[in-house]
This record gives sequence, structure tokens and C-alpha cells, in this order.
Amino acid sequence: MKLLLAPAVVVLAIFGLALAALFQWSLREFIPGSLQTGGLTLANFRGVLAPQYLGAIRDTVVLSALTTVLTLVCAYPVAYALARTPSRRVRSTLLVLTIAPFFTGAIVRTYAWVLVLGNTVVTWPVPMLFTERGVLVGLVHFSMPTMILILAAALSHVDPAYERAAASLGASPARVFRRVTLPLSMPGIVSGGLIVFAWTLSAFPTPELLGGGRVKMIANVVRDLGLDSFNWPGAAAFAMLALVLTLALLTVVGRLSAGRTS
Amino acid sequence: MRSRIVGTLLVALVALPLLVQPAPAQNALVVSVWGGNWKNTVESVIGKAFTAKTGIPVEYEVGGTIDRLAKARVAKGNPLVDLNFTTTHVARLYISDGLYAKLDMAKLPSTREIAKEAFRSDFHVGSWAYVYTVVYRPDLVKEDITKWSDLWKPSLKGKIALPDFDPSHIITIAALMEGGNEINWQKGEARLKQLKDSVAAFYSTDAQSQDLMKTGQGPVQVMLSVNAYHLQEQGIAVKLVQPSDYPGVVGIDTMAVMAGTQKADAAHQFINLALSREIQTELVKALRAGPVNTGATVPASLKGQPGIFLSAAEWKERGYIMNDEARAKNLPGWREWFTANIVKK
Repeated sequence: MKLLLAPAVVVLAIFGLALAALFQWSLREFIPGSLQTGGLTLANFRGVLAPQYLGAIRDTVVLSALTTVLTLVCAYPVAYALARTPSRRVRSTLLVLTIAPFFTGAIVRTYAWVLVLGNTVVTWPVPMLFTERGVLVGLVHFSMPTMILILAAALSHVDPAYERAAASLGASPARVFRRVTLPLSMPGIVSGGLIVFAWTLSAFPTPELLGGGRVKMIANVVRDLGLDSFNWPGAAAFAMLALVLTLALLTVVGRLSAGRTS
Repeated sequence: MRSRIVGTLLVALVALPLLVQPAPAQNALVVSVWGGNWKNTVESVIGKAFTAKTGIPVEYEVGGTIDRLAKARVAKGNPLVDLNFTTTHVARLYISDGLYAKLDMAKLPSTREIAKEAFRSDFHVGSWAYVYTVVYRPDLVKEDITKWSDLWKPSLKGKIALPDFDPSHIITIAALMEGGNEINWQKGEARLKQLKDSVAAFYSTDAQSQDLMKTGQGPVQVMLSVNAYHLQEQGIAVKLVQPSDYPGVVGIDTMAVMAGTQKADAAHQFINLALSREIQTELVKALRAGPVNTGATVPASLKGQPGIFLSAAEWKERGYIMNDEARAKNLPGWREWFTANIVKK
């Protein structure tokens, strides 16, 4: 049994070492124009607390929260139809449409949004491309398939007899949904929400391509610092800070949702 | 039985990366270069001629500028590649970390014919040149753009795209306009801030720059001349400006021999061949970049075009060359200032 755990321990050890290496980089002095680093310092952490970097963290959290809520709202009806439709053909069609984006890849999907959100195909009343709005659209679209599948799985475990019983006792469809379906699908909402929130926190290609350099999320800033400014200690410090914040946020959200589902 | 299965799985896990990445042939010269058109050109123009001449096969490590730098740093002292192509200011980072070997000029007779601007240091030498200049789509911008200062015209508001991964070009031009340069670049700060509202987008890669031009989202750009010529070849009608007020900002890609390589002689032969008249002539045709060998033949259609310098006078008059060291040192600070003051809404 212990031997079966060995691969997982090896992987954990490798990740642990990588994290330790990142941490030691974050404590090294950055020397502009050189790859050499100086002695130990906390200056990198002070540097990444500048308003522009904190702004990127704020934007990331706000965009992640909005993405989670909007994805949930958009995905729920599709998931409900997928779980409840009696027609096999409709279910198959919905399933294929849901899964299809997985086969195109994030970059291709995002490039398609560059064309749609720009004013070449549609003339938008407000600017969409290279704004938070555009990035939000891209993130919601990116997250939809996963959320639909998680919600559909949760909804398929809700016995329709409960809904029928509520309706037979005089509850309106809206009341049935609010008092029966929604609470019973809460485990799916929580797990789907957590997954979407967590991966949106680390989103890279969507803000990179749809943000036009103006919308920066955490991963984009780490890349900028490390690869464009050659400031590897700064990038490591920002990555560590983001990691701690992400873990803290996920813990808070996880505890809140655990309370809600119980 | 169970422990044998687990053991096999562990061995497979460890061996997998070795299977995925084939090891280079033992006698091959390994060249590190950017991907896409850059690698294809180096391979077809220099690599094949080199192998035909010396019998030494050439293999390529392809990647982005900083990915390759990171790999080189990790492999320090026991390099994975023998010869490196990179931009001249990034080469300063290699040099600062002792990753390059000093060039043996006695083994590089072709350097007798190259422009003095191509001698970047004792460790790296230019392979070709280009400029960052104003490029625009006349079908989407109805007025002529003829100089850098035109970028500040109110009519171009919301049409300009700039590189944010390296804003050194526009920062230097703004400084030059205010009587400064890349050393005392702060002189151009106020002027740069006036450009803020005109910028539609910022790009992080050459591919993004070309996409912005193709889709019309950034029809006026501070753009790499090589990319602009590439767009023209693809049928996108872009116009390269030879600015009448200040020159284009020159970029020089360079070659260097890695410190610790066992194939320093072959690497020198490769560089020497790359700098020869014949190969430089072919490189100009393939890349639409300027030759560093002043004896190279340039197609008539490219003569006098931005980024193509054929004489000492042209290098001096039509191109502004930044100080490599100042650029490498200032870039992190420039990016920080640029992000806070120009990119941020």
C-alpha cells in the first residue's frame, strides 16, 4: 500500500522543491541589467505591493468572482435541460455542444473572441475588446462547459419526484425551483463555483489576448515581471504573494460554501 | 508482483522526459534560435550551407528570448547549445552571467566586411538588423503619416498599438523629441503621457502585433520592420514610415558562442559563414532584414527601405542605436513606469 503512494510522494516532493526554489528566488536582490542576484532582501515583496501590482490582484479577484457568478447563471439552465430533458436527441445535442469547446483549445477559442469582440464582425455599442467586459465574456465562455457538466451531474442526482410533489401541493414552477431544485443542487453549485473561481484566478491566455495589455491578471503580471523585465526575484515574490492570497481566498470561499451546503 | 508494477511505473515516470526529448546527434552543432520564420531561415540559409561546407550537422533549440536565456542559465558551464542567437541587449544579460565565450576574431575573417555597428562586444556580433518604426494601414488611416510626431495627432486617437513587453523604442523617441536620449529618458515623460489616450492596445508578442494590424484593431503601430514586410508579403497593405523627424530605432540580432561548449571551432565557423557576403545576401532576401555585411547584395525593392542599411552613412542617418547596456539596465524600470503611467487606465 505504501509503495502505491510512492509516485504521489515523488510528485509532491518535486512540487515542494519547486516551491522552495521559488521562495528563495523571491528573497534575492534584483540587479537590473544582470542575471546575477544579490543578497537576501525583502525588497521584492515591498516592490510588488506597488499600486499597479495590487490593482492586478484586485482585478483578478473581482473578475474571478464575476466570472463564477455569470458562469453559474448562464450554465444552470443548460445543465438543467441536459439533466431533465426526456429527449435523447436533445440531450445528445446539448452534450456535444457543451463538450465541443474542449476540442478547440483555449488559444483558438480566445482568438475567435478577438474577432467577435472587435468591431470587425459586430459593431458593439460600448467597447468590448481590450476591456474588462471583453475579458469577462471570454472567461465565462471558457468556464461554461465545466460548470455545465458539474451542474448537470448534480442535477441528475436530484430526484424529480421531489419537484413533482412540490408542484402537486400547489407550488408554482418558480417556487419549486427556489425551494426544491436550487437547494438540492447546491453541492454542484459549490463545487462548480469553487473550480471556476480557482482556475480563473490563474487565467492567462484570456486576459493576455482579450485584455490588449490593459487588463492584467495575476499570471500576466508574473509573466511580465519575469520574462519582459528580467526581474525573476520580483516575479517570484509576486507569485508567492498571489499563491498565499489564492489559498486564503479559497479557504474562505470553501468554508463559506461548506456552511451553506450543510 | 505488486512492487514490480510500482517499480516499473516509477522507472517509466523518470524515463518519460528522456524519451520525449531526443538527444542531439553527438557531433552536431546545436544552435539556439527563435521559432517560426527565424528558425526556418537560419536553417535553410545558414545551417544547410554550413553542413554542406563542413560536413557538420546542425540541430536547433527553438524558443522565446527569455525561455532560452533561462535554460542557458540553468545549464551554465555545461551548455545544452553551442551557439546562441538573441537580441543585442538581452545578450548583455548572457554576458553578465558569464554564459558567452569571448569571440576569437582570428577565426572570423568575415568580420572584416561588417559594419562597425554590428560589433556589439567582445562576446557577440550582429547577424542582421531592423528598425522599430511607425507602420500603418492606409486603408484604415486616411491621412499620411510621415514622422514620429504624427503619432501625437488627435486624429489617431484610439488607433495606435504599442509593444508593452519592451517600450524602449517609444520611450527613447519621446526622449529624443525633448532633447534627451535613453540615458536621461525622463525628459520625454510628459510627452509620452500625452500619447496615453491614443493607444488602443498594447501587444506582448510579434504575433499579437501582426494580428492587431490584420484585424484593424491597431492600424497604427510602432512595429518591427521585419514583421511589417512579412505582412506585406501576406497581402496586407501596410506602409512603413521612414520618419522624417527622428530615425527608426535600430534592433540588432546577434550571435555568440556559449561558454563551455566543446564545439567552439565549429560555432566560430558557423558565425563566420553567417557573416559572409553570400549568406548575408540570402538572409536579406529571406528575412527582409538589413545585412550587417556591407558587401551584401540587396534587392532593388528593399534598397533605402526602413531597417535596410547599406553604408556607414545610412546606419548613422536612418537608424538610432540605443546603448545596449543602458537598455538592459533600464528596461525593468521603463516597463514599470510605462505600465503605471501609460498602460494603466
